[in-house]
Amino acid sequence: MSHADTIPLHQSSQSDIDEIENLINASVQSGPATVLPARPPSPPRASIPVVSSSPSPFIQSHLPPPSAPPPPPPPSSSTSSQKVPSVSIGVTGFGPAANTLTEPVWDTVKRDLARIVSNLKLVVFPNPYREDPGKALRDWDLWGPFFFIVFLGLALSWSASVKKSEVFAVAFALLAAGAVILTLNVLLLGGHIIFFQSLSLLGYCLFPLDVGAIICMLKDNVILKVIVVCVTLAWSSWAAYPFMSSAVNPRRKALALYPVFLMYVSVGFLIIAID
Amino acid sequence: MDLNPPAGENYANPKTCLFHVIFKAAALAFYILSALFVNNFVIIFVVTVLLAALDFWVVKNVSGRILVGLRWWNEINDLGESIWKFESLDQESLARMNKKDSWLFWWTLYLTAAAWILLAIFSLIRLQADYLLVVGVCLTLGIANIVGFTKCRKDAKQKIQQFASQTIASRVTSTIQSAFSVV
Repeated sequence: MSHADTIPLHQSSQSDIDEIENLINASVQSGPATVLPARPPSPPRASIPVVSSSPSPFIQSHLPPPSAPPPPPPPSSSTSSQKVPSVSIGVTGFGPAANTLTEPVWDTVKRDLARIVSNLKLVVFPNPYREDPGKALRDWDLWGPFFFIVFLGLALSWSASVKKSEVFAVAFALLAAGAVILTLNVLLLGGHIIFFQSLSLLGYCLFPLDVGAIICMLKDNVILKVIVVCVTLAWSSWAAYPFMSSAVNPRRKALALYPVFLMYVSVGFLIIAID
Repeated sequence: MDLNPPAGENYANPKTCLFHVIFKAAALAFYILSALFVNNFVIIFVVTVLLAALDFWVVKNVSGRILVGLRWWNEINDLGESIWKFESLDQESLARMNKKDSWLFWWTLYLTAAAWILLAIFSLIRLQADYLLVVGVCLTLGIANIVGFTKCRKDAKQKIQQFASQTIASRVTSTIQSAFSVV
């Protein structure tokens, strides 16, 4: 994987995880920006409220393990009690590292689901942070894109009366390879984006086309299909536009945006033409 | 790393070990068996990739934490750069980790990746591009976990060394200071 820049962490991740959660909350509420206390390893982040002086995460971390509801099957209850001593030892050791390491599985699931939902809202629906690519999908994840691509492939495959397997494979390969190639295109044009962030964004922007595909699957009227596909295509392009255009030099904006639009148009044609 | 499980102790987290192994085994088994019995590529693709993705999630978020005390993820900071973050338990806890658990963890990761590589070679030989796609996706997920956890483990060792040298340095200076104060 690219960008393997490890920063040795002495105090790590409780504050980072808190930041992520606070970012999710802040993005939902458009919360106020407060300045973080600066930590040696990473640059001060101006826009994320944080709970991060050393003592407090430990006070918090003492609470969840003992009072957590009986953990779901994978971690047996003996492990969650076994980890409690490590939390207190961790105070002098490597900082608040133990907190996310000892959280119950259900917390992790909820956190990931919340992240998918918040990413979807950030990308596809109007919100105040759209202009800044750095903020657009800071907590990128590939689960959302995975589900949307598979769903679109399934919808197309269902609508097809013959060659269902080929349709699915073609749709999946087209979307996945297309996202990768589009990202490479921007990088080669001298743009500044992060590979996975861009993959994640292009995947999330498929959500409108998914909706269009479902509608077209249910109603087989050609004119309706054309209208629905045009609307959802415009929506997808609108969602992808700010991120892609702000990542490249203004003179090369069209060069970066045209392939994105082309890919969505081809998916739209697939949706219309399937019968 | 030896080929035999360390003797003399049992698994400390049997349920986690089970889940760690079960999704990998299910993905491999479904792929291999369904190629023989099921004639519908879409189902094979979706179920196999779904099982592989679930396995990726379980290893990254659950069994990595519980069996070996490591965790890795990626963040993007304000400057728009991507940072890989690693997290590990402190040294005493790491030393207390069950050896059998961590043996199982690492070996199943490596063996599954090797199995998928073998299946990729088979589908290359048979020139089946769509099955190669499935195998490619599962292999990518497996290798991502291997790379992430290996880096995390190296980072943890580095942190331990740094901590140890810091402790030694601070003890040496405090000894020198106390020596001078006595004199």
